[in-house]
Amino acid sequence: MTLAPPRTPGQGQQQDNGAGAAPRRALVGLFPWAMAAAVALAVCGAALSLNGVLRGWNWYLPVLTTVLVVSFTLAALRGLRAQPLLVTFGGFLALGGILTLTFFRSSSILGVIPGGDTFGELDRLIGRASETVLSETAPVAPNAGIVMVVCAVLGLTVILVDALAVPLGMPAATGAALLALLVVPAMIKPQSVGFWGFVATVAGYLLILGCSQWFAPGFGTQTDAAGSTGHLRRAALTGSVALVAALLVPAVIPGFDQGTFPQGSRLNPWGTSTGLNPMITLGNSLRTPDGTGRITYATNATSPLYLRTVTVENFDGDSWGPDDRNESRIRLAGPIDPGYQVLADAQQRQVTAIDTGSLSSNYLPAPYAPETVRGLNGQWTWDPATLSIKGTDTTSRRQDYIVTSSAPALTPALLARSTGPAQDISDTFTRVPGNVPASVRSTAETVAGAAGTQYQKAMAIQKYLRSADFTYSLQSPVQGGYDGNGLSVLADFLEQKSGYCVHYASAMAVMARLQGIPSRIAVGYAPGRLTGETVPVAGQGPLSEYEVDGRDAHAWPELYFQGLGWVPFEPTPSRGVVPTYATEASAPGTADSLDNNDDLLPEPGQVPSPAPSVSAAPVPQDNGTADAGPRLLPWLLGAGGVLAGGLLLASPFLLRTGIRARRLRPRNATAAAPLAWAELADLGTDYGLPPGPSETPRAYSARLRRSLLGEPDGMDRAAHLAAAALTTGYERNQYGPPEAAGLGPANQEATNPEAANPEPAGPADPASPRDHIDALQAALRANAGGPRRFIATWVPPSVMRRLGFLTGAPFRAVGRGVRGTAQAAARSWRGARGGLR
Amino acid sequence: MESHRRTADGTAANRNPAGLAGSVSALNGHRPAALDDAAFHAAAQRILTTVNTVIDGKSDAARLALTVLLAQGHLLVEDVPGVGKTLLAKTLARSIDCSVNRIQFTPDLLPSDVTGVSIYNQTSRLFEFRPGAVFANIVIGDEINRASAKTQSALLECMEEHQVTVDGHSYKLDEPFMVVATQNPIEMEGTYPLPEAQRDRFMARISMGYPDMDAEIQMLETHQSASPLAKVTPVVTTAEVAAMITTVQDVYVSQAVKEYTVSVGRATRESPLLRLGASPRSMLQLLRAAKATAALDGRGFVLPDDVLQVAEAVLAHRILLDRKAAGAGETAHTVLQGILQRLPVTHASAGQPGTRPARSAPASGLGRNR
Repeated sequence: MTLAPPRTPGQGQQQDNGAGAAPRRALVGLFPWAMAAAVALAVCGAALSLNGVLRGWNWYLPVLTTVLVVSFTLAALRGLRAQPLLVTFGGFLALGGILTLTFFRSSSILGVIPGGDTFGELDRLIGRASETVLSETAPVAPNAGIVMVVCAVLGLTVILVDALAVPLGMPAATGAALLALLVVPAMIKPQSVGFWGFVATVAGYLLILGCSQWFAPGFGTQTDAAGSTGHLRRAALTGSVALVAALLVPAVIPGFDQGTFPQGSRLNPWGTSTGLNPMITLGNSLRTPDGTGRITYATNATSPLYLRTVTVENFDGDSWGPDDRNESRIRLAGPIDPGYQVLADAQQRQVTAIDTGSLSSNYLPAPYAPETVRGLNGQWTWDPATLSIKGTDTTSRRQDYIVTSSAPALTPALLARSTGPAQDISDTFTRVPGNVPASVRSTAETVAGAAGTQYQKAMAIQKYLRSADFTYSLQSPVQGGYDGNGLSVLADFLEQKSGYCVHYASAMAVMARLQGIPSRIAVGYAPGRLTGETVPVAGQGPLSEYEVDGRDAHAWPELYFQGLGWVPFEPTPSRGVVPTYATEASAPGTADSLDNNDDLLPEPGQVPSPAPSVSAAPVPQDNGTADAGPRLLPWLLGAGGVLAGGLLLASPFLLRTGIRARRLRPRNATAAAPLAWAELADLGTDYGLPPGPSETPRAYSARLRRSLLGEPDGMDRAAHLAAAALTTGYERNQYGPPEAAGLGPANQEATNPEAANPEPAGPADPASPRDHIDALQAALRANAGGPRRFIATWVPPSVMRRLGFLTGAPFRAVGRGVRGTAQAAARSWRGARGGLR
Repeated sequence: MESHRRTADGTAANRNPAGLAGSVSALNGHRPAALDDAAFHAAAQRILTTVNTVIDGKSDAARLALTVLLAQGHLLVEDVPGVGKTLLAKTLARSIDCSVNRIQFTPDLLPSDVTGVSIYNQTSRLFEFRPGAVFANIVIGDEINRASAKTQSALLECMEEHQVTVDGHSYKLDEPFMVVATQNPIEMEGTYPLPEAQRDRFMARISMGYPDMDAEIQMLETHQSASPLAKVTPVVTTAEVAAMITTVQDVYVSQAVKEYTVSVGRATRESPLLRLGASPRSMLQLLRAAKATAALDGRGFVLPDDVLQVAEAVLAHRILLDRKAAGAGETAHTVLQGILQRLPVTHASAGQPGTRPARSAPASGLGRNR
């Protein structure tokens, strides 16, 4: 296959059989280059689809150079007739060289040889890449770290694809490597691989297959006609099976919106850590089906308690994240000072005992605003600007601590009085980012521009976000491609009007800031559920315990009111609890809208008068017909699904019954005997006794009767006779003289007294094959155990085997590939050993 | 045993001078009519019953001996001394009303003792041919490997061509003609093992094997006072046997069975475990034995089962194991069983049952080639 002189035995043989190889020899010189081009096309094509995982196109040039350099180095080495192992080794060297040239030129020797500092830099880049992977959502900015990793992976893919295609001779297996590249965008990007990336990859893959076929030594010498029809048939079969599977499987799979790996969640092999950016992992936590990271807390607070971990206040940049401000943090030793004056009449002081359990986060969940924290292990610091508590050398894992917090007793009146400009806080909370989309700006103006006080503005925004237009959905941001955060996401959210807490909180925070209210996004946990237990807390007596877990993760806006401090709001429908001061002042009667799910309740103003009592009789009827329409559809769908599922489950049975009916259709004796025998063999197969290829009909029949039927003279006499009759009929048909075969079993009595003697055929002659088969089947059923009977009826092996033959074809191909790999590896190892000697 | 020899010789002596040519022409001149199934079956049953009364618990060996007789082959009985090799041969011979000669092969036996010799008749002043022991319907060659190769090879022509050529004159042998030879595989000292060419003449080799316990007890009882052989009387005539042979010849062999038979032979030739596979002549004899088996089974056509049933007896003594295989503990039996178990059965129609093995066979072949 290569141009190398026959060093390995396989190549030697292949060269020998090229009798008319002289005109092809010139073409063979092109082979390495054509193959390199094909590999480069495939890999670069797959890399196209990474656009969207990495932002922009700047990263594509280094990728392109890496792939081209590596693939054409391989081709050049192969053109020089180097050892296959040497070629691959050369590929690695070329990859190292081009990566050094691209990314570590300053620290390298002569630009391509890694110098002493290169490895330090490499470490730094890999660290950056892992940081990017952990903390950012797609599309990520193409920093040097991530681009270097991408280049390295693609270069390795080139080497792998080349090794699979050329020395190992398994060009088809290269598809797996290319598929591995495509999986990344398919999983990360909402719009999946994309058209051009897919087309280019497939084109490259087909070229690889084509190259290895055109230049294969055996090509053209084998019997072309037979080979091509066989290939065509197999290709058509494989293709149609794949097509049907591609159409059916997505329809059958219910979708990835639940289960262990729901759509939009990310693989998180590092446990339940909230990662570097809680804004990113929040959606993920919400989607976890089993609610990991359970926290319990006991509090004496009278109102529902939000546990806050961290805040986000810097709305610049594409991806928001908490600002740690490590330099200005203060070690957690004494009381925590909020840094502003609270002019409220009354302060509520709350004591909360928190047990974080397995939650592993850098930030400590605590109710706002914490004053003291007791019982923590390790070093903790607090941020004077946001009061978030962060561990320096520890995490929140297995912490058990008591927080004393205070909050002003807020009332709408109190808030409405706070109109003064914000003082005492840094401009981080007031600065409006420059790139706010116009749609966000105009929405804020429309919603709150007319309101008077800051409180009214805040209420207007919250009311807008809690209106019936907006729906709470964890999935639609994923499907709409705006899962994450940032201003562009915000614009999408305000357009789609569907999202989850991160979107609502950031929308309200940004819109409030546009309206001149200092704002930030708090991240933490919505109020939890009572566990029903009480926990004794020092100085407080027993307090009832609550629990929250990953599914309660929440984000909410905090707005600053001069003289009152940071005031939380709840714009997210159906999550959290709207604080009393933030409920509609105009409708004091709706205190029960504290119960959060007000997206189900109509807006207070639109509540229709409770009319049902007026005319009890006709209304339900009307309601019934009105409801039937929309409700019928899911029922129909469900019933259809059940029906389809039942059909699918019963399909082997139906198929089997169909085959039997077709075989036993009345016809002349010559045609009937082989079909009846086939039915007998399938019956035996169904009951666990398939005929072997080297088994004669008689031997199989004897084995069947011996092992599956009872005594020949007992209850199963009829079945034994039936099997014997079917066997002799088939034997006569297959091996008997031609005239006797046509006469059927009627003749057999006269000419064949001996065969009939041990098992007198009796009046079997007028019996049709159907009667024989029925008798045999009844006896088989009677003798088989329950499980076998079930298998024979519902998953008959004779049918499953045929299906298995079809569906198993790819697996057999893989098996052959694996065997081929092993042999090729052994061959090349032997070749390499021979070459070294 | 002595008495038997006398009668056999006497019969031969009585018949030979006058009736030699006549009897041969009577049997060979026109083809005897085939028996119908019932008559064939009855005759076969009579022979087998007779043999089984003498030899206890060896019905398989008896049946195979009859198969070889009906297939016009020769039988080599090979086993340790004292299991009834000679008794089987003699009983089969006695149950048929035909001439029987017995040759005790000894190292000093000469070819002319077997074939016959021309002697000078003082009265007529002419050389007269005096037929040897081979001129009989059934010839029992006892301890055939004790005679020299020279003497053994005197049997070559008789067995293959059913004739004897002495002094340039060929004498036809009686039909049916069957050689039943015995040999002892254990004690090989001072013996001349049969060469391949000679072994190939025998249609089948059987070994008697020890009888089971009941049969052995039975044997002790029945063989106490007198030899049961003495009570054996012929149950079929020569003409009946000839008709039975014709019946066997008429058994139908389908193309599929022919293919199967040939594939058996090819498999033995291609087996890496064998130095020498089965010859084309053995294929012919295999098929003939299969036809006789089918006829004995009451069938007018041959099944692959019939081929399988006789394959080992017909082939085992003809194949030569490769030295490595023999060193690995393989025997002709195990090798043949392995080959037959792997060999796909040929079906006539490419219809439903045949499709599965046929479809899987090329697939596995492909897999092997890659």
